[in-house]
Formats: sequence, C-alpha cells, structure tokens
Amino acid sequence: MTDPTIKRIETVLRKPAVIFGAGAAILLLVTALLALAFPLYKPLLSSQFSFSMIVLAVMLVLILSATALCILFERKIAGFTQDRYGPNRVGFWGLLQPVADGLKFLLKEDIIPRHVDKPLFLLAPALALAASLLGFAIIPWAGQVRWPWMPPDAPPLSTQVANLNVGFLYLLAVGSLSVYGVVLAGYASNNKYAFYGGMRAAAQMISYELPLGLGLLVVLLVSGTLQLDQIVQQQAATGVWNIFLHPIAFFLVLVSALAEANRAPFDLPEAEQELVGGYHTEYSAMKFAMFFLGEYAHMITSSALIVALFFGGWHFWGLPGPENVTWWAMLIKLAVYLTKVALFIALFMLVRWTLPRFRFDQLMRVAWQSLVPIGVALLAATAALTYLGWQRNVWASLAANLLLLAVLLRSAARSKRPVTARQEDLPEIDVRPTT
Amino acid sequence: MPTLLIAILTLGAVGLFLAMPGGRADTRRVGWVVLAAAGAVLLALLLRLVPGADPRGLFAGFALVAVFAALRVITHGKPVYSALYFILLIFAVTGLLVLLEATFLSMALVIIYAGAILVTYVFVIMLAQQSRPAPYDVKSREPVWGCLAGFLLLILLARQIELFLVPAQRTPLPAPIAEAPGTIEAVGVPLLTEYVVAIQIIGLLLLAALVGAIAIARRRPTTRAESEGDE
Repeated sequence: MTDPTIKRIETVLRKPAVIFGAGAAILLLVTALLALAFPLYKPLLSSQFSFSMIVLAVMLVLILSATALCILFERKIAGFTQDRYGPNRVGFWGLLQPVADGLKFLLKEDIIPRHVDKPLFLLAPALALAASLLGFAIIPWAGQVRWPWMPPDAPPLSTQVANLNVGFLYLLAVGSLSVYGVVLAGYASNNKYAFYGGMRAAAQMISYELPLGLGLLVVLLVSGTLQLDQIVQQQAATGVWNIFLHPIAFFLVLVSALAEANRAPFDLPEAEQELVGGYHTEYSAMKFAMFFLGEYAHMITSSALIVALFFGGWHFWGLPGPENVTWWAMLIKLAVYLTKVALFIALFMLVRWTLPRFRFDQLMRVAWQSLVPIGVALLAATAALTYLGWQRNVWASLAANLLLLAVLLRSAARSKRPVTARQEDLPEIDVRPTT
Repeated sequence: MPTLLIAILTLGAVGLFLAMPGGRADTRRVGWVVLAAAGAVLLALLLRLVPGADPRGLFAGFALVAVFAALRVITHGKPVYSALYFILLIFAVTGLLVLLEATFLSMALVIIYAGAILVTYVFVIMLAQQSRPAPYDVKSREPVWGCLAGFLLLILLARQIELFLVPAQRTPLPAPIAEAPGTIEAVGVPLLTEYVVAIQIIGLLLLAALVGAIAIARRRPTTRAESEGDE
C-alpha cells in the first residue's frame, strides 16, 4: 500500500468516470470492429445454422461474463440485506471486483491432495460447469428475426440455438446431469465431509426433480407444446403470461429450481457450519471457481427457463410482439428477456440472504410430503380444466388454483404438524420443566 | 460374410475373456489388443456396407464409443468407474437414437437412466464403499460362461445382421418420421389410445412393486421407551 504507483492506480480506478469511460470505450471499440467486419459475416447471419452458431457463441460469452458479474451482484445484495456496503474497494462501486476475484482464483496455488481419486477429481468441476451450460441451447432469447437484406417472404430466423422438438424435456435431461459433478466431487475427494456433501446433493436433486417435473407438466397441459419458443409465442399472442394461470405451478418450479441449483435455503451439500465446505472442501483455485461458476450458470439457466415458461419470455405489454420480426424488435426483446432473467437472479439472491437453511429431514419432507402431493393435485386439476377446454381461461384456472390453495391450507391447519416438526423416528423430547 | 462376422465375434469373445478383471496385467493388455482388432474390422465392415452417406461418421463415432464404454463397464475394477462408463454408454446410445430422429426416446433415456437410475447406482456404490476393493470387483465371477453366453447371443443376432449386410436381401430402412407432427405426438398419442390397457397394466405393476418395496423396507418407528423395553 505504501507503493506510490499502486496508490495512484487505485485512486484512478476508483473514479466513476474512469470505469464507465473505459466500459463505453470498449463497447464502442467492439461495435466499430463489428461494423467494419460486417461484410464478412453478413452471409453467415442469413442462414439458420450459422446464425444459431453465432447466437451460441455470443450467448456463451455473455453468460460466462454474467456469472462473473453475478458474484459481485451477490455480494452487493448480501451487503444490502445485511445493511453494509459490500465490496467497494476495487474500482468505483466495486465494479472491478469480478476481475480481482478472477485473478485471485487463477493465481492461487492449485492443490490436488494425494489421497484423491485423481481422474474423477479433475472431471468433477468440468462436469459441474458443462452440465449447467448445456441448457442454454434451447432458450428462445429474442423470438424471430428477419434481417433487412433478406427477401420479405423468407422465413424469419429463430434466435434459439437449437429448436428441439422435445423442448424442455431436453432441459430436464441436462438438468438431471448436473448432480454428477457434485456427487463425483464428493466421492473423488476421499474426505468424509465432501462425501456427505455429495450424498446430500444426490438425495436432494433426485427428490426435487419430481416437483419440477410436475410443475413443467402443468405448463405442458396449458400450452400443448414442449417447445419453448411456441410457449413464449402463445403467451405473447394472448398477452396472458402463464403465471396468471398457474401461480402454484410457478411456485413449485421456483422452489425446485432453487433446490436443484444447491442455493440457500437448499444449500445443505455445502453447509459450511456442518461440512466444512461440503463437496468442494478439497478443491482450490480455478477448480473451486468452476463449481462456483457452475452454480451461477445453473441459476441463470433456471431463471431463463422460468421466464420462458411463466413470464412470457421476451414479451412485454406495449412492446413489439411476435409479428414484429425486425432487427430492432429483436434487440428490444432480448433486452426484455435479459431484464427478466436479471430480476429472477436478484430474487434468488435475496432468498439466499433472507431464509435460513433447511434441516435435512425438513428438506426431504418439503419435497415428498408437500410439493409432490401439491403438484399431483394441481396436475389433476389442470387435466380436468384441459378436458373441459378451459386450460387457457384465466378465471377458471385461477379459481382452481385458489381452491387448491384453500384445501391445502385447511388440511395443513387440520394436521397440526408444521414442516419444522421433528423427525418421527427420533425419541420424544421431554418438555417437562426440569426443576 | 457370415464367416467373417463369426470370426469377428469369436475374436471379440476371446479378447473380452482375456480383458476381464482378475487376470494378469499383460494378459489383459493382450485382450484389449484383440478387442481393438475385432472392433476395427467390424467398424470397417459396417462403414463399407451401411447405406446412407451423411451420418455415417457420426454413427461410427457413437457406435465405437458405445462399444468401448460397454466393455469398460464390465472390465473396470472400480464400481464407480463402471457406473460412469455406463453413463457414457447411455450418451452414445442417445446419439444413435438422435441420428434415427427418435428425439423423445433419446431424452427419455437420458432422463431415466442417466438422471435417475445411474444416480441411484452411484449413490449406492458410494454408500457401500469399502476401504479396500471387494473380491468380486477384483476378480470377475464367471468370465468363461459370461463371454460364451454373450458370444452365442451375438451369433444368433449375426444372422439378422448378415441379412442386413447383403444388399440384395436388405429390407429397406424405415423412413425417419421427421415429417410427422412431432415425435412426442408420434409416441404419446398411440400410448394413450392404442396401448392404453398395456400402460395401465404397467402402471399397476410398478405401483405393486413400489408398495412391495416400501413394505419390505419400512421400519416401524420405535421410541426410546419401547426399545428400552425390548432389552
């Protein structure tokens, strides 16, 4: 700190003008480069395959940098929740904190303990990150687009990387793979705390896949298609987001998404107070960072999925709709989509810093005794509505939801057993006063 | 042609027998060399004869990975690795299914096998982990009979494969159903109309199995007072 050059660098970096100026300059530079190289990639933009590849590359870069920014965002929200500043030393408002974090992860010593199962130890973080990134392939980021130089009768291009026929079934498939990164990390570390973390993760992810699947099935019944772009188009065409039809299904999916991402209040696999660090106890430097990035990437995927399923994707009232396929409409839709995703990430983070962690038996009970029966009941109700042809009728489905909610609350009140109750096979507590 | 196929299969069976866990390290290495030779000949044969030019490379890649993973599942000494190779096998088969435009089936395979069953396997393997490898992992139990049974099964299949390989007798491949309203509809509608009774029976069977499992596994919760009374 006594070094005057370092001090000068620090004071310069902390000026807002420098940070925002540098950001604007980089943005300008990139835009200028893209504009100059335009004739080179113009033909590539016109075919669906190469356009999908470009979308893939752009969104991958965007999401990987977003995961880095998420760490800053998370710490800022933690600071906000706990009434403190959060990181504010590196750069103005701490905006350079992700750079500092990244450098720290890269420069730290990368330790591989002698007792680990080395191939699996190396494989696990890569799996954790890769499995979370796979899901982006089917997110319909900005509807459809027809470039100005394309003939007006040409079919518009989809801004999805892959328009799979199986739609969000694919997301379920790759989502169920993310458990392997965690479980293998726990196994390969050859450390009992890491091992417990891995076991907890496996049990938790298997359990919470069920309510997630049930919630998705409700959406499937309402929309009649698995393809995310069509689900978004339907919501945009009617202007009625699926959240207005099925708030309970949204809640199921939200809770399961939190649990699948190992986020608090479901972060038992990495509960510091019980398991040292959980499954990543033995990991250091960049391999640890990959678990971190995987968690954030998973969070972004889940948010994007929830936005597409329940919050109309790129649709917002008064903004360009599905029939507008110009390039500026695409940019607006993309901005709307990303804003919604960012809001969801903020919600996930607020939940983490607000709610305390579940106990393990509570976690299991919430999944199996609460969420799964609710999901089944909701599915039955939606099936009945679909049979009557009212599945897209807001009032009918809201009434069904309210009725279900009333029944649930009533039965919960009657059973007089809160979720926080003790495990049944534990001995009774002696509540008599000890005098 | 049948002699060539039978030769490949014999080679494969011998190689697999030699590569099974339990033998000496150099014998196992010889077994892998034999297996690689058999695989290479089979691959060359398939690539030369399988019709349809475009996805041949992908087909060969997925098939190769699938066969290799399947061999590793039964030859690897550590059960966790075996389970992981099983997952690799499932992915390779998924790739083959996608090549056949059976996207729904491929996703179902990943969700059910890789997402649920194999997680449970890994879970159980981790729970049953011992400080030193178990004898049944170090040495395969009945390598001779196992290899022989597999060999006989494939010989029976070879007849069918042979028909497929001789162009004159080849039955035309089923056309991909990409033009159908969608593979989910193509699978789902017949399931709930044509085969609805079968589905109901399967559901009932699974329910019975589930209830049976719970009945076997259920432990009556005992309070401390009761267990003290037992003693």
